[in-house]
Order: sequence, then structure tokens, then C-alpha cells
Amino acid sequence: MAAYIQARNVNLSFRPPNRGAVRALDGFDIDVEEGEFLSIVGPSGCGKSTFLNVVLGLLKPDSGEVLIHGNRITGPGSDRAMVFQEFGLLPWRTVQHNIELGLELKRAPSAKRGAIAERLIGLVGLTGFEGHYPHELSGGMKQRVGLARALATDPDVLLMDEPFAALDAQTRDLMQTELLRIWREARKTVLFVTHQIDEAIYLSDRVMVMSKRPGRAKKAFTIALPRPREYEMRVTPKFNELKLEIWNALKDEIAV
Amino acid sequence: MATQPSVLSGFIGRHRNAVLGGAAVALFFAAWQAIFFVVPFNPLFITKPSLIAAGLVDLIESGDLFHDLAVSAVPFFLGLFAAVVIGVPVGMVMGRRVRIGYALDPLMTVFYASPLVALAPLLVIFFGVGLPGKTIIVFSLAVFPFVFNACAGVRAVDHLLVNVVRSLGGGERDVYLKILLPSVLPYTIAGARIAVGRALIGVLVGEFFAASEGIGHAITRFADIFAVDRMFACILTVMVIAITLTEGIRWAERTAFPWRFGQ
Amino acid sequence: MAEMQTLDLELSATSGTLPATASRQRIESIALGTAAIVLLLLIWELVPHFLPIKQGTRLFFTVPSRIFETLWEMFATGSIWAPLGVSAAAFAIGLALAIAAGLPLGILLGRSKTLNAMLDPFVTAFNATPRLVFLPLLMLWLGIGMWSKIAIVFLGAVFPLLINTHEGVRNADKVLINVVRSFGASEWDVARLVVLPNSLPFIVVGLRLAIGRAILGVVVAEFFGAQDGLGVVMVRAASSFNVDIVFAGLIIFAGLSLIMTGLVRLFEERTSRWRPQRAANE
Repeated sequence: MAAYIQARNVNLSFRPPNRGAVRALDGFDIDVEEGEFLSIVGPSGCGKSTFLNVVLGLLKPDSGEVLIHGNRITGPGSDRAMVFQEFGLLPWRTVQHNIELGLELKRAPSAKRGAIAERLIGLVGLTGFEGHYPHELSGGMKQRVGLARALATDPDVLLMDEPFAALDAQTRDLMQTELLRIWREARKTVLFVTHQIDEAIYLSDRVMVMSKRPGRAKKAFTIALPRPREYEMRVTPKFNELKLEIWNALKDEIAV
Repeated sequence: MATQPSVLSGFIGRHRNAVLGGAAVALFFAAWQAIFFVVPFNPLFITKPSLIAAGLVDLIESGDLFHDLAVSAVPFFLGLFAAVVIGVPVGMVMGRRVRIGYALDPLMTVFYASPLVALAPLLVIFFGVGLPGKTIIVFSLAVFPFVFNACAGVRAVDHLLVNVVRSLGGGERDVYLKILLPSVLPYTIAGARIAVGRALIGVLVGEFFAASEGIGHAITRFADIFAVDRMFACILTVMVIAITLTEGIRWAERTAFPWRFGQ
Repeated sequence: MAEMQTLDLELSATSGTLPATASRQRIESIALGTAAIVLLLLIWELVPHFLPIKQGTRLFFTVPSRIFETLWEMFATGSIWAPLGVSAAAFAIGLALAIAAGLPLGILLGRSKTLNAMLDPFVTAFNATPRLVFLPLLMLWLGIGMWSKIAIVFLGAVFPLLINTHEGVRNADKVLINVVRSFGASEWDVARLVVLPNSLPFIVVGLRLAIGRAILGVVVAEFFGAQDGLGVVMVRAASSFNVDIVFAGLIIFAGLSLIMTGLVRLFEERTSRWRPQRAANE
């Protein structure tokens, strides 16, 4: 059975003004199964965020294609939604109105919007904060809003671009556990980009290591840890073995 | 897709904005000159770039332009100088002594926000149309940006620095000279940028009121005799001066205080 | 022997204080501000009682009480309304035209980098030049009357509006634009959802600056190139040494300027509730 998301030989270069072309993705191939939680780890600048933007539909590859459920991706669509590293909340909108953004653009009726937003606010644990403005929220809370907003349009695929990078370590740990809880309920396919191997192993079914720029899919690792994941698993030998394996695949790609 | 870029396209790429801007200006003057092939030319109301250039050359050669500029320059610089020398210390004291700041702030705000130009007729009649009158007008318009900017500059000073000087045995005078004065420098220069424009208005207002010399008077003089080409030449001269002063100060700000440009 | 200097606490009194001290500061600042103005007026009023004034200067000298008397008279007899109406009309029409031209143009310049690069020299040139320098030319073209006034007001007001709108549009967060695009927004949606709300505070600042310049424009236009309006009244009064009327006129212009910019500031505050506290720019 064909994979749910298929990337075939994706090539992409950036052409900044006044400088030479930069090859971001080089023959990138990947298969993602439906309902899978896949993390992509790679060194800085390897193109992982670029790939995510290609799947999102905001960037077009120079050659190659990405298929979702057999259909070629040609632009943004309601079957995919992204959670951004910098949160990307509209500062002049309240929490509730931020979550409703995607629904507004889909022209959903306002009663329906409100109901969906309310349910998601409960799901991400922000009940009581509907009327707050982004600048009144902590980083973790902002990202919960970002997550709720991405889930509001009920996409099939959730794209997450280092969503916890801007948070402090403790909040980050908390948010990882939260994310797993929410994912269990929402049951989406997730493409998760991160720097942190720990995070990737803890969250995912599979971890894909990317080479340094220009980015290729280097090696995929299956994470055979039981679900639901518990925090204690992070200190087991199995976890550390995986970490070492992935690190060995990754370390050659990191320039010092 | 592109092969090896040529030197020219590299240059254009790096300086794209300047090239586009320069091209737009050149296009504007070319169109202005050329439009009279289709539109009738009435020398009493309009002129062409070629005639403006000729008039400008004429004014320069006869020395009239420089004479008028010189006459205007004196009250301009005198008034500005007085504005700095009086405005900056007043602003600094307002910033440093909180209660004086409270007291003078509303007063100064009212003055700054009022069209003080409205008093120009009075000032001209009282002080005359010559140097004293023009200088006073320039001063009254230019002093407030300096007051407010100096005040803001002092208020923005890190108290830690002041405490350092104090802890080393420095007195109030040392605080002013070693910390406050250097700190208000960028603010003063920013204030100069605003004050320069207002000072120019002051000079023009003073001269429009029936001076007998000066660049402003030259403009009205040429308007009266419908010498439109020379009028445009003078107007363009004033524009060039205004732009040079304002953008020059901006450039000085950027070079001398690059850290200030996150704002 | 120098005294031990106390550490610099006076300046710190204005920053990061408890609510109780903060409101005490507000009362203090209002009290001192008012006191200063009252004191100034009082001294001015009493000067002729204490200092001998030369005969020549007497012609020009006036005191606050006479100025307010004149103001009162102007309003009571209704002689103020006609000239004020003329000035207000020129102001309003010029400002309205400036908004109609400046806002769309500012948006265009913000969206198109090419257009911006091409128009930038012109905008910079006209913004740096005092509009007054064009008055004789405008009078030549438009005559002495409403239109040259409106033209000067327009020229003064359009540039702050244009520049600030442009700044607001350009300032729109790219991340936010990508966010909205990722939900399938069209260009129009992007403008509506991100660019416009983001630009609003900038436009309001531009409006505040434009009002000040517009009033200035009316004043100078009426001084030199008009037949009626409050400024004309002032110039005529000045040449017949009617100093009270000149000051009264100034007060009216200043008052209108302060009221209008005050209203805009109020509006500014209300529409900026979503912003974390930022410093104002000039």
C-alpha cells in the first residue's frame, strides 16, 4: 500500500540576490505512513524547515514532487497545517480569534467556529484564556494556541517546525508530553522537525536523519518504544542506544 | 538559468534601489522636457528643465544666487546655534530634575505643538525685517526639537552610569559633563534633523514678509515678474539644500551611532 | 571637604514604582505643570505694573487678561466664525485629500519594492523641503484663494501619511504572512488579516503628524496668499498693531491643533491595546 505522504527526488535551490544559488534539498526522498509521527533531525541549515515548507505548499521544488494520498502538492491546502517555531500568532487578535483564523478563511459559519475553538481550547488546556492577547501569554501558552489553531481546520497532516525551540527546557519537556496527549486524541499524521535527538526519540514512531546541506534523507530509525510514552523511558538503556545510533548517523553531518 | 553575470548586472543588482531611483528622476526630467512637444508652452506659468538650468547658470555666474543664499544663511545658522546653545541645556535640566520636567513639560508641549509661525508677523514688526527679526523667528521655531530631544536623551540614561560617577566621588557637574552630555549627543543630532527643517521655514517666512534680499525673497521677486525659470531654479536650490542637510544629518547619525537604528 | 553625595535616586523615582507612588507622581506632575503655566501668565500680567515700559514698546505690549477679553469678544460677537470657517474648510479639504492620496499610495509603495525605489527620491525630496517654498509658485498657478491654501495643506499632510502607511505595510511580520498563507489565504486575505491591522498604529501616528503640518500650512498660506481666513485676520491685526488679536488667533490655532492631536492620541491608545508597551516615535 502506498505511503500516505511520498516525497520523490525533491530538489530545491534558493537564489538570494547578489549571491550564488544555494542548494537546499538534493534528491530528497521520504515516505510517511498515515497516522505516523515522524521526526526529521539534521544539522543547522540542512534544509529540514525547507522541506516542511514544501510539504506545506508555500515553497515549490525545482524538480521532483510530493504526493499526499496520491495527489501532488501544488500549494497550501486544508489537509495540512503548520505549527511555527516563532508561534506566528496575530498579536491584535485574542486567543479565540487566533484559533478561528483558519476556519474564517474556509468561510465556516461563526457559530461553528466558536464551537470548534472552544473544544480545542479545552483540548490544549487553555480554558479561561479565550479573551487574552498573545502578549499576555507565556511561550508555552502561545504554542498551545498555535497548536489549537493548526488543529482547528482538521487537517490530515500536522507539520511542526521546531515548535518548542523558543521555549525554556522545563516548558519544553512539559509541552512534549502535552503534544503526545493531544496527538493521541487527534490522531493526525505528524511531520516534526527538531534539533534535539532526545525530543525526536521521545515523540516519534520513526526518526529520519538528514544530511548537511544540500539535504538528503540519510537514514531512518524505527523507534521501538511502547506507547503511550512515559517520561521514565528517557532514562532506559534502550532509549540511550537509540540516541547513540542516531547521534552516530548525525555527527558526521555537523560541521564544527 | 542565468549564466555568468556580467559586471554591469552585478552592479545593478547590488545598487538596485539607487539605480531605480536615479532612473526615475532622469525619466521625470526627460518627460518634463519632452512634454512640450505635445502640450503648448506658456512661459508665464511653466518652464522646462533646460530653461531652469540656463537660469541657474545665469544666477550663479552673476553671483546673485550666492549673495541671496549668503544673506539667508546668516539668520539660519545664527538662529540654529542659539537654539542649540539654549535648548539643549534647558532640555537636559528638564530631564535631570524631575520636578522641573513636570513643571515645564506641558508648557513646552503647548509651544511645540502650536504653529509658532503664527507669531511671525508680530516678531517681524517688532524686530524688523532684517537679521534680528529673521534670527528670532528661526530660533523660536528651532529651539523646541532640541529641548525635547535633550530631555528625552537625559531621561534615557542608564542610572547605573550616574551612580558609578557618584560612587567615585563625582559631583553634579561631573554627572552633566561626563555622562549626560555625551549621552544626549545622538538625541541632539536627531533633534537637529527636525530643527533644520523648521529653521528653513523660519527663514522663508521672515523673507516672504518683505525682506529685500535672501533666497526666499528671490523666489517672490521672480514670481512677481513671472520669471518662472529663475523661480524654479531658486526653488530647486532650496530643495537641494534641504535634502542635503536632512539626509546628511541622517547619514551622520547612522555612521556615528549605528546602534540607534533598531528603532 | 565634599559632602557625601546621595546615590542617584531622584531619576529612578519615575521608573518602576509601586502603584501608590505612581499616582502620587501623576498628581505632582499635573500640579506642577498647571502651576508653571499659571505662574507664567501671572508674571506676564503683572509686568506692566512693576516695570516701566518704553513708549514705543507699549504699542506691542499686551497682557493675558486683554488677550482673553479679545478672545471672548471674538466669540461673543460671532466675528470669529466666518474667518475660522474659511480656515477650517481649507484644513479639512486639504487633509481629506492627503488621506485619500497618501494611504493608497503608501500601501502601494509598501507592497511593491520597485515602485518604492523609483518614487523614493521624490518622496524624500518633498518631505525634506519646507512646503512654504512652493507657495509663490502655487499662488502663480492657483491664484490667491482657497485652492493654493488647500494645495499647501495637502503637500504638508500627504507625506507623513504616505511615509507612515508605507512603514506600516512594510513592517508586517513575514512569519504572520506565511501563517495566513498556509491556511490558504488569497492576497486580499493577507492584506485584510495581517497588513491592515498591523499598519493601523503607524497610520494613526502619520495622521497625528499630518494634522500638525496641515495647521501650519493653513497659517502660512493665509499669511501670504489669501484674502480671508483666520490667518489673514491675524496679519492685518499685526500690521495695525492689534497685538491682542494676533495672540488670540494663535491661541485658537494652537487649541485646535492640541484638541485634534489629543483626540488622535486617544484613538491611538484604544487601537493599540494589543501591543506590548513600546516607545512612541516622533
